[in-house]
This record gives sequence, C-alpha cells and structure tokens, in this order.
Amino acid sequence: MRNVSVVAGFCCLGLLFVCASQGNAYEIQPVNQGGGIQGQVFFAGTPPAPLVVEVDKGPEVCGKERQLVKVETQNGWLSGAVILVEGIQTGKPFPVQAFSGKLPGEGEFRYQGGERLGLQVKTKGCNFGPFTGVVAVEDPVIFENQDSIKHTLHTFASMDSKGIMLRTIHNQDLHPMDSMARTFEVDKLRGSRVVRITCNRHDFMQNWLYVVDHPYFAISDQDGRFAIHQIPPGRYTVLAWHPILGEQRQDVHIASGGQVTLEFRFSRAQSE
Amino acid sequence: MKYLVRHRSVLAFTVGVGISCLMMGSAAGALLDGVMGGVEKSLAKRAEEKGEPLIIGNFYQAERPDSHGPIGVMGDHTHNKGEFMFSYRYMRMFMDGNRDGTHNVSASNVLSAYVVTPLQMTTQMHMFGWMYGLNDTVTLTAMVPYVMKSMDHRNRAGVKFTTNSSGFGDMKLGALWRLYAFETPSIGSHRFHLNSGVSLPTGDINPRDNTPLGNNTLLPYPMRLGSGTVDLLPGLTYTGLLNDVTWGFQALGTIRLGENQQGYREGHRYQINSWGAYRWAKWVSTSVRFHWQQWGNIKGRDGQLQTTVGPNQLVPTADPDLRGGRRLDVLGGVNILFPEWMGLENHVSVEAGLPIYQNLDGPQLKQSYSFWASWQIVM
Repeated sequence: MRNVSVVAGFCCLGLLFVCASQGNAYEIQPVNQGGGIQGQVFFAGTPPAPLVVEVDKGPEVCGKERQLVKVETQNGWLSGAVILVEGIQTGKPFPVQAFSGKLPGEGEFRYQGGERLGLQVKTKGCNFGPFTGVVAVEDPVIFENQDSIKHTLHTFASMDSKGIMLRTIHNQDLHPMDSMARTFEVDKLRGSRVVRITCNRHDFMQNWLYVVDHPYFAISDQDGRFAIHQIPPGRYTVLAWHPILGEQRQDVHIASGGQVTLEFRFSRAQSE
Repeated sequence: MKYLVRHRSVLAFTVGVGISCLMMGSAAGALLDGVMGGVEKSLAKRAEEKGEPLIIGNFYQAERPDSHGPIGVMGDHTHNKGEFMFSYRYMRMFMDGNRDGTHNVSASNVLSAYVVTPLQMTTQMHMFGWMYGLNDTVTLTAMVPYVMKSMDHRNRAGVKFTTNSSGFGDMKLGALWRLYAFETPSIGSHRFHLNSGVSLPTGDINPRDNTPLGNNTLLPYPMRLGSGTVDLLPGLTYTGLLNDVTWGFQALGTIRLGENQQGYREGHRYQINSWGAYRWAKWVSTSVRFHWQQWGNIKGRDGQLQTTVGPNQLVPTADPDLRGGRRLDVLGGVNILFPEWMGLENHVSVEAGLPIYQNLDGPQLKQSYSFWASWQIVM
C-alpha cells in the first residue's frame, strides 16, 4: 500500500512538471486589435573605448587588428539594446528578420521566423554578427562558418544580466565552410536569461543574446529606434537590456489598437 | 573467448563505461556542474569584489605550448566535442646496475647468490595514441605501444650475453571525464577530470630468446611485453593555468585483475605526477615534473620459468618477490607549439629525467634515466 502511495506521489509530481513546462510554452494565436510600442534608447555620457585586439590566428582572413565596440552610439542614441515585452504567452508568429554585424566582416543574425525563432548565425570575416541579439530556449541555432579558417565556438549562460558569472554551454570547433546546430537547453541555461557567444581563437568575436520565448522583442537600430507590433491588449512590463549597460524596465498599458511611445535612458554610471 | 568468459566482470565494467560515455552525449558539460553551489557562490562573491568575471565549466585548451602537460604524463588534458588528437610518443628507459633497498649492489655480489646477474636494460617504446572528444563530458583515449627490450647479463663464468624481446604491448582504452572547472583572471583557471581506462592483455608474456641455458628459452618477468591481465586504470587529474604559468597534479593507479595465463599477476602500480611549466614565448614552454611510482611484487609465479640451476638460484629477474619498488624521478621538459598548418595544431615535446630516490626489492636493476619525445597533432 505504501508503495502505491509513493508511485502515485511520483505520478503527481510528473504531471505537475508536465503542466508547468506546458504552462510556459508560447502559443501562436490571431491577435485582434493588437497595439504597438515604439520608442528610442538614449545613452548619456561617453561610451567605453573600443577594445583593440591584435589578431593572432588567421590575420589573412580577419585582418591584422580588430576592434570590439561594446557600446555603439550615434548622437547619443544607443543601438543594439534589446527591448522585450515580458510575460506574453500567446500572439503573433515569430517574424523573419536579419541583423548584420558591425564592419569589418559580414556576420549576420538571421531569424527564420514562423512557429519558432529559428536563429542562424552566419560567420564571415571573423564576425559572428551584431553585438547583441536574442535566442530561444530549446530552439536549435544554426552556426555557419563561411570563413576559410576555423573558429572555436564557446557559448556561455550568464548567471546575471552582465556576464559576471558565466557557465560554459557549448565549446566546439566550427570548421571552415561548415555549419552545426546547437541548442540552448533548459538544463544548461538553468534559468539564465543571457547567453554569451565567443570565439576562443579570436577575442574580438563576442556577442550577447537575451533569452526570449516569444516574438515580442526588438533591437534598437543606429538611431536608437525600436518598434514592436501586434501586441495583444493588456498591461505589461517592457525590458530594455544591454550587456554592458544593464537593464531597465517600464510598465505599459496597451489598449486595443493603441500605440505607446517609450524612451529608455542609459548612462555610463549604470555600466560601472 | 575462454579468457573473456573468465573476466565477465571486466567485460561488464568495460561495456558499462562505454554505455555511460554514449549516454553522456546529451548531458550537460562537467559532471559536477550544478552541485558545487556553495563553492560557486563563494567564488562569485570574490570575483565580484574584484570586478572580474567568473567562468564555470570552461575546459578549452588554448593553443599554447603548455596546454598539454609534460609529455611523460598521460591523460593530462581533455578535448572539446568532436576534437581529435593523434600522438606519437617515443620513450627510452635505461637501467644500469643493481640495487637492493636504497643501496647499490655490485654484479659480483649478485653473482654470489645467483648464477646470472642482469647488468643493464634498455626499454624503448613507440606509442601511438588517439584522443577524441565524444561530447562535452567525455574524451575517449586509445594507445597502442610497440615495445623493444634488451637486457645484458653476465654469468659466474664471466660470459656476457644479451636477450631481446619486442612486439606490441598492452593496448589501453580509456575515457576522461570532465568533473569541474572554474576560472577568473586573478586566480587563473582550475580544471579537474577523472581518468578511467582498461589495459588489455595484448602484449606477449611468453617471449623467448637464446641464452646460455639453451635456445628459445622463456625470458623472465622484466622482458615481457605486457602484464597478461586486464588492468583497470583509475585516476584523477588537476591542472591550473595563470598567465604564463601552468601546473598540474595527477594520481593514477594500475589495478591488475585476476591472474594471467602463465599463472601469475604483476603487482599493482600507483603513480603521482606533479608538474609546473613556464611559457617563455607563444611557441615554447619548459617544465619540471616530479614522478612518484610505487609497484608491488608479483603474486604467484610462472611455472614454466626456470628459476634454479641445480641447487643455485638462476637469476634475480626470475624471482617474483624481487619485482616491487618505489621511485621518485625528477624530469625536465620542453614543449614546442608549431604554427598552425592546414588547420592542424602541432606540438613537439621532449622530456628527460633521473631518479632521485629508488628503493627496490632487490637485487633488481635500477633506473638510470628516461627520455621521452613526442609529436601530437590536434585537428
């Protein structure tokens, strides 16, 4: 009898896990009278100087010297901030989008969209793509190396929003003209919302991804602008995150068919 | 087949390890990730105070000459998933003169108790090794040695003679299991992995050569090319790195199982390696290593081996109770990393050393020096 109770207990626990995991899954549904958020991200102060790195491995492909710009601004507007509407569980499909890395190099983050995020990381000219982006849990990411030299992909889960404590997830060679799919699994992320990508062979190849589970995100452009559409009406918290500058949140109310304008202001002090 | 049936437990162990390796394919990285919460909190706090990042679970071997330990150390590093390494190692070991305990024994002293005394012995090994990163946790290893042994003797009549044996030795298969790794810029990188393996009895334990006793005579224990038993090879390795300095510690065991077809079992062997290396330039590093070894006498005896001539003992090398000992070697090494070619990472390394302490159950030949050279290709 006691054994039966134990088995029943385990079954209940199992069911709870199943329900809990299903509860977090994003569901695509038509959005009626969806609203939108738009705005700009501002940076006050002088951005940190770019990191200058002398290229040791493959200078014929990467160049002899490279720079890593961690905070990119133009006239005070911050590009590369990830804007995310938190807590949405149903809504529009994932959009098709592509973001290029800062030159030199032609790295790209391409989001295939549809029922899943479908991130493809194209590496070309020793460039993984833009400094920031997003990634989805349990959604395979395709890493494609279009260079004639090897890169060693090293991904980390950041236990905080700014990469103070990092935990290795993948660590593997990405051979010339080769590609591979890697998944950021729940048990490896362990609740982390930030992922860092580096190349062990090229210190200047660094990218930061925010973990998302729905398509209601945007990345600020060179004028600091962002826009998110087709948001189901309701009250939400909007997150603005930058791996160097930290994160900010603002509460919003999206009325049916309504538009909300937001402005986020980061400063150097937040990064220190 | 009969042998395999006799060692069902070993087979089960080997199959178990194999299956575990395959099952780890989808597992998280290092085995102790996630169970070191207290340590991680303390490390994270310390790192945060210093304003530096803490990285957990990074086992990446940077392309530097000291990313591999001194070449005499086996299983010192792991590989990333999909990474493959081929290595060729040459080892030469020279023994000269006899010793009992910590005292040297002259040939004439040995000959007062035995008809024949060994004078010198040279062992050379060509070792072909493979390492493959199966997944984020397990690195598989394999090593096939080709062994050449030569021993000089003298008998009471003053006649000198040499015996030789050569052939493939015991093949070793293993798995290295990543346990835990952490690093910060100020305290450097610290990595731990488990060594596990099995040595298969592929080496000849029935070598023969011509001696004054007759042609095609069975040679004594030190001339044999393998143990004849399945041996387990457990161990633990720790390596550290801070700027241009690397260091390591490794404890290894060789646990013999059962007895071989000749009716004996070699003694268990325990080894401890500790080393430090300094990188002088991007392509060269030098190392100092201390190597402690302790090994037991033979249990049982080879009934086919002649041990007496009339009332006299034949030769100390045929006595199973004169095989054990303890030794501490100090070795110096150089590791060179060649520029990458065709995407291949090439390491060339040499190491040589002398014993600074030898305590042998003798009379037994004492070691004079050992020398290692290697070429490793990582792809």
